[in-house]
Amino acid sequence: MSDRIYGYAGRVLRINLSTEKVKEEPLSKELIYGYLGGRGFNVRRLYHEVPKGIEPLGSRNKLMFATGPLVGIGLPLGARLNVTAKSPLTGILGDSNVGGHFAAEMKYAGFDQIIIEGASRRPVYIYIHDGDVEIVEAEGIWGLSISKAYDIIRQELGDWRIQIAIIGPAAENLVLFSGIFFNVYRPAARTGLGAVMASKMIKAIVVRGDGYVEVARPRDFERFVEELEEAIYAHEQYWPRRSMGTSRILLAANRLGFLPAKHFTEPVVDYAFKVSGERLAIEYNVKNRACFSCILPCSRFYVIKNGELAGTYGEGPEYEALAGMTVRIGNDDLDYALKAIELANDLGMDIISLSEVIAWAMELYERGLLSRKETDGLDLSWGNMEAVLRLIEMIAYREGFGDLLADGVAKAAKRLGKGLDLAFHVKGLEMIQADPRGLKGYGLGFAVASRGADHLRSEPFIELSDNPDVGRRLFGEPEATLRLGVRGKGRLVAYYENWCALVDSLEVCKNIAENMEILPPSKMVEALRIVVGINMSVDDIMKVGERIVNVERAYIVRKGIRRSDDMLPRRFLREPMPKGPSAGHTIELERMLDEYYRARGWDPETGIPTVEKLEELGLDYVIDDLMSHGIRLKKASGSRQSSPP
Amino acid sequence: MRRYCLCLCSISAGEEIFKKNDDTYTETGDHSAPMVRRLVVDPSKCVGCRYCELWCSYKHEGVFSPSFSRIIVVKDDRIGLDYPIVCRMCDPAPCIEACPNDALTRGEDGIIRVVDAKCNGCGSCVEACPYGAIRLSPRLRRPLICDLCGGDEPICVKKCPTNALRLYPLAEEDLSENEKAFDKAYRYALEEHKRLMRRWGLHVR
Repeated sequence: MSDRIYGYAGRVLRINLSTEKVKEEPLSKELIYGYLGGRGFNVRRLYHEVPKGIEPLGSRNKLMFATGPLVGIGLPLGARLNVTAKSPLTGILGDSNVGGHFAAEMKYAGFDQIIIEGASRRPVYIYIHDGDVEIVEAEGIWGLSISKAYDIIRQELGDWRIQIAIIGPAAENLVLFSGIFFNVYRPAARTGLGAVMASKMIKAIVVRGDGYVEVARPRDFERFVEELEEAIYAHEQYWPRRSMGTSRILLAANRLGFLPAKHFTEPVVDYAFKVSGERLAIEYNVKNRACFSCILPCSRFYVIKNGELAGTYGEGPEYEALAGMTVRIGNDDLDYALKAIELANDLGMDIISLSEVIAWAMELYERGLLSRKETDGLDLSWGNMEAVLRLIEMIAYREGFGDLLADGVAKAAKRLGKGLDLAFHVKGLEMIQADPRGLKGYGLGFAVASRGADHLRSEPFIELSDNPDVGRRLFGEPEATLRLGVRGKGRLVAYYENWCALVDSLEVCKNIAENMEILPPSKMVEALRIVVGINMSVDDIMKVGERIVNVERAYIVRKGIRRSDDMLPRRFLREPMPKGPSAGHTIELERMLDEYYRARGWDPETGIPTVEKLEELGLDYVIDDLMSHGIRLKKASGSRQSSPP
Repeated sequence: MRRYCLCLCSISAGEEIFKKNDDTYTETGDHSAPMVRRLVVDPSKCVGCRYCELWCSYKHEGVFSPSFSRIIVVKDDRIGLDYPIVCRMCDPAPCIEACPNDALTRGEDGIIRVVDAKCNGCGSCVEACPYGAIRLSPRLRRPLICDLCGGDEPICVKKCPTNALRLYPLAEEDLSENEKAFDKAYRYALEEHKRLMRRWGLHVR
């Protein structure tokens, strides 16, 4: 153990399912210093190992799982994992972050990163325990729902301590927004990674280990953790988050007027309390549950007490699923929303994307653009939950109209030849449950996020403070921290993107680290010094965040993404918010984009990183690679072009 | 004097188990004897974060790993199960009786300790423990048995974010006058409540 790297397991596992070869590689220092962990590790490797032109559902795509240095130790917020591959939904970067207990167990099993290559010919599950890898025949569980497969695998292995990543029938049927579910209720849902796992014929990946993680400076670590504990327990958001998790956002979004009700036509609704996290806490929740090593147990176990669905139970929901199965599709029945969420989870789908394809179809139906014949007889009126439950199954099994929606809203609109303007996605990834006309920094974040419309790449929550002093102090622009402001948003989003890249690479909880500001970059530097024993300055570490964002950008630039793709759907740019506290607003995207590219050091005309920026970040391999693909990289003094071979 | 193990399982336990467990709280015989302290669990509060496991392994072994922990949180995510299992300091203790090498001893404080020189890691104690509260350390193959961190402030109790763990007994209180004063409904409720209070670490009679 003398070569042990503190904070890391120190090894990478590579499994090739085509050849059934398993290889262990040491974790390189270069990777640690340059990318820190998790998302950084995966993205760096994806850039190198999954070149342009790879078919996302073919055997040459690679599925990667990576965790970070702050996981598996007694740090009260480190439990996360990133799953990465080329996305079958968007054709660009596929990446999703998940909590729970898998990431830590993976380290105890001996690995910081697991890379799955090739494809099996028959259904299998992979059992990784204390450095050993078994590829187990899984014919009998292929086709089963997530919860059934979870029970059977645990019983078969006779070990309740295992942690499992499972796919459901939706993934098996290659629904392009199917996810990978960790122990039933925790999905890495976004960008269709479940379908990638299914294309490799992997029903589940199981990890278990008796290993351990050491920290470099134990005495300092004890003190550091005590400080973090106090900061977390004393935080004003501690108890609201502990009682409601993110489900508390629904009422807040209604107050501020940015709900996505009826497919972003109603930013406020009069039934918000009926479907709120507050109501869940009062009438449904029976206990809290936590990710590994977390002292803010924000997940909730619920039981439906009354009515025809009485006896339904499960964990969650978080805001995205809750708002997706309630307001977005015009449903005010909380019981049926919980049922729909449970069903979609058990079949294995991303509920954000699911809520968009359903809401999109409903808007077309309500406007008379989609006939009952086209929907296979389903009455897709707003809030018709009987039809929604049926439709969820039709999507998962790709039956009839469900087959169209299973490809995601962008492809569905193209195939149908209708509702293209109403397909609310960016770069093929469906939008989350917030109307960017009422949250403009988030809106810019959706437009530029490297995996498509998503808030978790930037999460500039600070604009919700509506406090101009903060913006003036941090970004030299008071509007930056006003949610309806425009100036300063480019700098705001660029900064928060860098910070979030660090959060996802150290693999700590974004809610605690970033939203609650428990782990600002200065604390991350301290954590790395104490846990890993490396000395970095705040500038150094922010460069790592910026490097990760730039590699991701280069990855999607290589796939052809340009400024014109950093776009929001027309409704948000042209149609003023109809009512509520954000009434009259559209989102001034182009102005914000100009500022964003300047803040990033990217060419404002194309959105391609400049040579100077890539050089500054030590990304010479990216410069060479982009030029070898014939991509012109701008310099302050003209452009550099690839020389002909 | 004969002490029984503290059985504190019960969030969803039925009447029968309640009754059975209730007996185990009764300190029979000599009340003047020094009270042995034990760890008590309120499973209804446990959220399954396993912070206790991590800090237990760190405090005793210097590394972070649930496999080196003396407290074990049993989990089954699908049904929302989170249940800490830890040594109940049974008396007589099946683990001590099962050890073929006399490698387990009980101190005055009731804590069951491993005599390293005598232990050959055979695992008889693991088999004998009715609660599955003993495991062998993956590194040294020695039984991992809770030692209450010496007594006063176990690290798991200190670190638990939800107050699911406590030392018992924290205080002694006689509620029998209340029991006499009120009606059946009160007496029934009090009996139930005493069980709850014991899970809070209070010694009530």
